[in-house]
Amino acid sequence: MRHGGIEDRGQWLVRPATVVGRLSLAAVFIALFAVAGAAQQKKTTPSSQKGVTKTMAAQPIVIRGGKLLTITKGVIENGVLVIQDGKITAIGPSGTTVPKDSRVIEAKGMTVYPGLIDSETHLGLTEIEADPMTNDLVEISDNVMPHMHVYEAFHAETELIPVTRLNGVTNAIVTPTNRDTLPGQAAFIQLDGKSAAEMLLVRDIALPLNFTGDQRRNESFEKAKFPQTRMGMAAQLRQAFLDAQDYSRKLSEWEKKSEAERAKGTAPKRDLKLEAMLPYLEGKRPIVLAAQKGSDIQVAVQLAREFNLRFVLNRVTRSQKVLDYIAELKVPVIVGPIYELPKETERYDSVFRLPAELHKRGVRVIFASYDSHQSRNLPYAAGYAVAYGLPYEEALKGLTLYPAEVWGVADQLGSLEAGKAANVVVATGDPLDVKTEVKYVFIQGREVPLDNRQTKLRDQYTTR
Amino acid sequence: MLQNISRRLWTCATVVVLCAVAASQQGAGAQAANTQAQPTPAQPNEFVIKNAILLTATHGRIEGGSIHVRDGKIVAFGKTVNAAGSAQVIDAGGRYVTPGIIDSHSHMALEDDINEATSPIVPHMMMQDAFEYTDKSIYYALAGGVTSAMLLHGSADMIGGQAVVIKTKYGLKRDEMLFPNAPRSIKFASGENPKRVFGDKKQVPSTRMGNFAVQREALQQAREYIRDWDEYNAKVQRGDKEAKQPKRDLKLEALADVLRGNLLVQIHCYRADEFLTEMQMAKEFGYKVRAFHHALEAYKVADEIAKEGVAIATFTDWWGYKYEAWDAIPWNPVMAMRNGVRVAIKSDSDDYMRRLNQEAAKTMRYGGATEDEALQMITLNAAWVMGVENRVGSIDVGKDADLVLWNGYPLSTAALVDRVWIDGQLFFDRALPGYGMPHWKEGL
Repeated sequence: MRHGGIEDRGQWLVRPATVVGRLSLAAVFIALFAVAGAAQQKKTTPSSQKGVTKTMAAQPIVIRGGKLLTITKGVIENGVLVIQDGKITAIGPSGTTVPKDSRVIEAKGMTVYPGLIDSETHLGLTEIEADPMTNDLVEISDNVMPHMHVYEAFHAETELIPVTRLNGVTNAIVTPTNRDTLPGQAAFIQLDGKSAAEMLLVRDIALPLNFTGDQRRNESFEKAKFPQTRMGMAAQLRQAFLDAQDYSRKLSEWEKKSEAERAKGTAPKRDLKLEAMLPYLEGKRPIVLAAQKGSDIQVAVQLAREFNLRFVLNRVTRSQKVLDYIAELKVPVIVGPIYELPKETERYDSVFRLPAELHKRGVRVIFASYDSHQSRNLPYAAGYAVAYGLPYEEALKGLTLYPAEVWGVADQLGSLEAGKAANVVVATGDPLDVKTEVKYVFIQGREVPLDNRQTKLRDQYTTR
Repeated sequence: MLQNISRRLWTCATVVVLCAVAASQQGAGAQAANTQAQPTPAQPNEFVIKNAILLTATHGRIEGGSIHVRDGKIVAFGKTVNAAGSAQVIDAGGRYVTPGIIDSHSHMALEDDINEATSPIVPHMMMQDAFEYTDKSIYYALAGGVTSAMLLHGSADMIGGQAVVIKTKYGLKRDEMLFPNAPRSIKFASGENPKRVFGDKKQVPSTRMGNFAVQREALQQAREYIRDWDEYNAKVQRGDKEAKQPKRDLKLEALADVLRGNLLVQIHCYRADEFLTEMQMAKEFGYKVRAFHHALEAYKVADEIAKEGVAIATFTDWWGYKYEAWDAIPWNPVMAMRNGVRVAIKSDSDDYMRRLNQEAAKTMRYGGATEDEALQMITLNAAWVMGVENRVGSIDVGKDADLVLWNGYPLSTAALVDRVWIDGQLFFDRALPGYGMPHWKEGL
């Protein structure tokens, strides 16, 4: 897959800015994880917060006796997993050597798996859905808004994130809602950290391109604005990418000029909107191409190919008639929400079965909650896809390894392997079942508290 | 989700059932007459499902159990049953059988006719008049194991219209889908929706004070309406030729039926203080509240709700979509139940309606509901909310044979519905080609 090691100039990896030169994403990630991890370790040491590890930063953690779902190396029954300095340092069967003076977590009868990754949420952009003042979901004054950066609105202290962690979601894509064709750039977060700086692992990770019809400004003939139709959407998008190409050409021409030539001329005027599109035109970061029905998918893919954009597909919930076409694209597909109602003429399970049908054709299926308050229910979508025929291992990968690959973080996340960041969940059973209760969540080796606004209300009114 | 909000804000509400008007009675009668005659494919009148794990909702779990169905009713169940040799035998192969799922709060098959929001008091609206019985959402619900549902007026109004209670017999005629002689329910609402809807129009109510004032005023008018008619009837009885007949008013007749106890009062209500006010208002006017719907803060005043014998029909884990849903917690159903409140889990959604079994299963995780308790929330307790608990909602002798066969443990993410029987007739079979419905052949 093309998504393993994205090359980039690095300016989009904002923290820690000083160390980011022309590093590969992977290298940046390692640096970033190390810095964030160390900061967190320091923070936890004196913490008296309920549920937070009070052990010294250096004390290793051993999770033993559990059923380890490694994702990449199968299932290890009665296994051992060692966490040290924010990393998984060892994983293996019972008897695996563990460091001295470790904190031991007995996980007999429990399941241990990598933290789940939600590939579309609006966490940190919304608090109370009906209250506009608590929402920063999308800028709708124009359809083409690639210079909107989610990280500039991301509210790290949102009450939604601790609620979401309760079900083992440790990382997420935060994206604007899909009212615009180009609503702005998504961020990749981890669901723990003392501030937005720590939680925003990658500030601009991808650009959603939405072509579902919901982006039309067709409220009524009187109030309609361009683009009122799909033709309008396509033309507007094409023009935007042409403008960006043109801008890119002007910039590079200017850069090629000698000092003397520059002294005579004027530098191209900086255009933030077009500038924001350049990394995508250059294939440095992925476009997340969302469309539902076959015709829309084909129009959007054609557009992406015209400009040689690197993309993954998203949604595809009305694509039952073009599944082979999708498979031939050889790109991973974020599928959902699988709870969308079927088309009038279709069988009741036509959307539920999509993940299985795509998998049968060799597609890597990825899951997303497409939600914020209910991001915690992400694993159940995968569980339901299993009920409708998706192999269990594939469903797990669609929550872990596959998204890690698409988002360029598979060297750090997505499986239980020595050397990866210790984003680890310990739960009472099958991660995909509604009855399973998460007991421990580690993010970069730090045990994160599982209390939240809701558990506090529960406790307050239980003891009353 | 966002696209759904506006709809949710509008639809989350209360219930109303059948009007005093004769239409509903006729409908119910017609349905009862036709139920047995209708099946398109010939179906056995008598059959036994054997070798099943029965989750009965009232008698716990029966491994290796059988159910004997005749004339649309459950006539026996247990480890063994004695059926006539002629009865068809269906081997469940160790799969699970539960009572049909009951959704006590739905707006499906009402198209856009959910809220008559032109006045805060519209008790004479009959949801049956908007019931689009060919709507595919009924099929989706059926395929999710739902066999009965209460279709409610929305929550835009303080006093909304009257509900229609249906069985999900997709493919039959409208009147054949009505739940025969189901009690009438009426939908009340409170809180944010009415005050927003009318406040936006610069009308009363625009506050919670306004909400309750409007409700009280309407109920007071109904009192006077009853008094006027009582006086008139008394005069007629005395032979007073001068007696002047009061004007018949559909709206006040419906409200009078609330005061007379002829309607089950289903109240869309979120906040703890509003439960208390609504129960106080009910006492003031002498009617009973059947259930609070949504009831996301029930855990705060569960003992008070239990004391009044009011049920709740709630979500498991919806929250945060508006202020009055901000204190919602997924432990609410079980906390309320442990305080003695009868708890139903409902959908209020054409989507969630298809997987209410999963929503109920969440209560086992959030608070530790037992298998029976979780199942009751989407069967027997939901039936109670609708006043049909003596006829559906459990595997019991004499009850309607509304049954679901599952391919796995129903209280989980992993189970799918294999077959659904309603009144002993097979209405859904996943193994069938096309839509999976013996009564519906269109398309595919």
